[in-house]
Amino acid sequence: MFRKVLIANRGEIAVRVIRTLREMGIGSVAVYSDADRASRHVRMADEAEHVGPSPSAESYLRIDRILDAAKKHGAEAIHPGYGFLSENADFAAACETAGIVFIGPSAESIRMMGSKTAARRTAIAAGAEVVPGTDHGSTLEEVREFGRAHGYPILLKAVAGGGGKGMRGVEREQDLESAFRNASSEAERAFGSAEIYVERLIRQPRHIEIQVLGDRHGNMVHLGERECSIQRRHQKVIEECPSPLVALHPEMRHAMGEAAIRAARAAGYYNAGTVEFLVDQERRFYFLEMNTRLQVEHPITELVTGLDLVRLQIEIAAGARLPFGQEQVAWRGSAIECRIYAEDPYNNFLPFPGKITRLTRPLGPGVRIDGCIYSGWVVPMEYDPLLAKLAVWAGDREAAAQRMLRALREYDVSGIRTNLGFFRQILEDAEFRAGRLHTGFIDEFFERHRPPHPPADLAAVAALAAALHTMSRNGAGPPQSGGARPSAWLEAGRSDLLR
Amino acid sequence: MKLLLTINGAEDRIEILTPAPACRFQMGDSAERGAQVETPEPGVYSVLMDGRSYDAYVEETPAGLVVSIDGFRFEIEARDPRRWSRKSARRGAEGIQTIASSMPGKVVRVLVAPGDSVEAGQGIAVVEAMKMQNEMKAARAGKVLSVPAKEGATVAAGEVLATIE
Repeated sequence: MFRKVLIANRGEIAVRVIRTLREMGIGSVAVYSDADRASRHVRMADEAEHVGPSPSAESYLRIDRILDAAKKHGAEAIHPGYGFLSENADFAAACETAGIVFIGPSAESIRMMGSKTAARRTAIAAGAEVVPGTDHGSTLEEVREFGRAHGYPILLKAVAGGGGKGMRGVEREQDLESAFRNASSEAERAFGSAEIYVERLIRQPRHIEIQVLGDRHGNMVHLGERECSIQRRHQKVIEECPSPLVALHPEMRHAMGEAAIRAARAAGYYNAGTVEFLVDQERRFYFLEMNTRLQVEHPITELVTGLDLVRLQIEIAAGARLPFGQEQVAWRGSAIECRIYAEDPYNNFLPFPGKITRLTRPLGPGVRIDGCIYSGWVVPMEYDPLLAKLAVWAGDREAAAQRMLRALREYDVSGIRTNLGFFRQILEDAEFRAGRLHTGFIDEFFERHRPPHPPADLAAVAALAAALHTMSRNGAGPPQSGGARPSAWLEAGRSDLLR
Repeated sequence: MKLLLTINGAEDRIEILTPAPACRFQMGDSAERGAQVETPEPGVYSVLMDGRSYDAYVEETPAGLVVSIDGFRFEIEARDPRRWSRKSARRGAEGIQTIASSMPGKVVRVLVAPGDSVEAGQGIAVVEAMKMQNEMKAARAGKVLSVPAKEGATVAAGEVLATIE
């Protein structure tokens, strides 16, 4: 086993990896940019190395500096976390060349699954179903033929696209010509290329993914699904296992699991990976892409399977065989995760970095937090707004939802804005509780709901607290009529004497 | 003591008749109420009212106070009517709009200069945080009076980027 591992990442995932390393008795090396000197992962690691200025292109993405740090500290392996260099085939190859183990799949597997089109080819070759489409710039005539062959609705997309620009859903053939013209000119303006391709439109799809895990000796299992349909700006915000849909149709777990393993095997995959599927309303599932790394939302899989995925990743990278087969994988209870972001959900989810002035975290039965924040820390404005992942486990989905609501109520992050209150609204939503999820859920949610309207008594208490606070600030005497408080130092001294 | 309040945009007033801990207070013209108040740590108010227990967290921001209770947020500005404040004076000044940053971040572009005429909806400055850019726009047409925003500077939420007459 390794004696020392470097974590080429920051924030909550670096903290998550350090925790397992410590439990395994392996030394940890953190890397940090200028902005992250006081970050939790640096304070928690056994060793730390500065790798550059705050912009990630000059620090966390610098392969040369990360490898230098690993050599300097004598790390035998590198855990890439997620994001940054985790899906960079050149980095995986550079580690190998430098004689350092990359805790993940081979550079070749990353290449085969790295781009959407390459992954789609690999998956098709492995027999996976993909959303039917043309995959290349198409003429109006080609699109018309596609619509006749596959049926409507169809979705026009810009070849150079992203972010919804140049995207048009078409319900009927008579609307095609004008939609094609509009999509094409919008794409031209946005990306400088008018090229359009077409896909079958899947209405209200679910996003369900399968965790796979393989060793370097050809063994591979799946660890079940995670439903990640609750998204904003195409980013997941709530994930759960089991998926409410799969809970109703348990045969789906096996079918999707088998399909995921076939696709991963086709890429010669080992270590942890995730195969993402879109699921339509007839419960047909289509290969979307493969993430060749640990996922943000891996804790819910850990909660229901009782496994430590990071430990398994490290053991596999060190050459171990999978310690169990598919029959030994068991799922128990229900887990939900909320991604706590520094953002304002009622103002277009705009980011909200800044200093955390006070932090109270939920505790108690079935609660897990993977976070990196502390009271007094200034959340940097340079990186992703993810502050922490709040995950709960309970015997069934209803109990897990109740537990999540309870935990959210205990959670207080002051000084910045977060989406904690927004999660409470979603968890209380009847559609969510009924498990009727799809990727457009949040947009529809905002059509159904306004920002929460607090009970009148809460407003009176808030007004009272604000008034008392203002009076104490303005020197109208302390809010306590019992007189000035003794200094904390005096109090500490007194209680020491009483010991 | 009487205070004028703006709670989430709505005007109200409160009178503290007896200070904490055995507090008596009156909101607007409604009936007098009692509440037992403790301050376990600075900025935290434990309030017992009508047999119910509330934990109110108060934080100070450039725009005023933010009070959180049970996950609900109240943006509150409290003013002593006997004191003259620049804020209330500015509030009174007719026709001046202030363009404030809606999020903390870094000013990446300033798009106007003092003396410029701007249209309603015209971009005033671009603020960036966590890889997202947000353009602050003029609500109405007018003439730019001042531009405190500087490119490259860090701003807090609610910080004034420009004033327009």
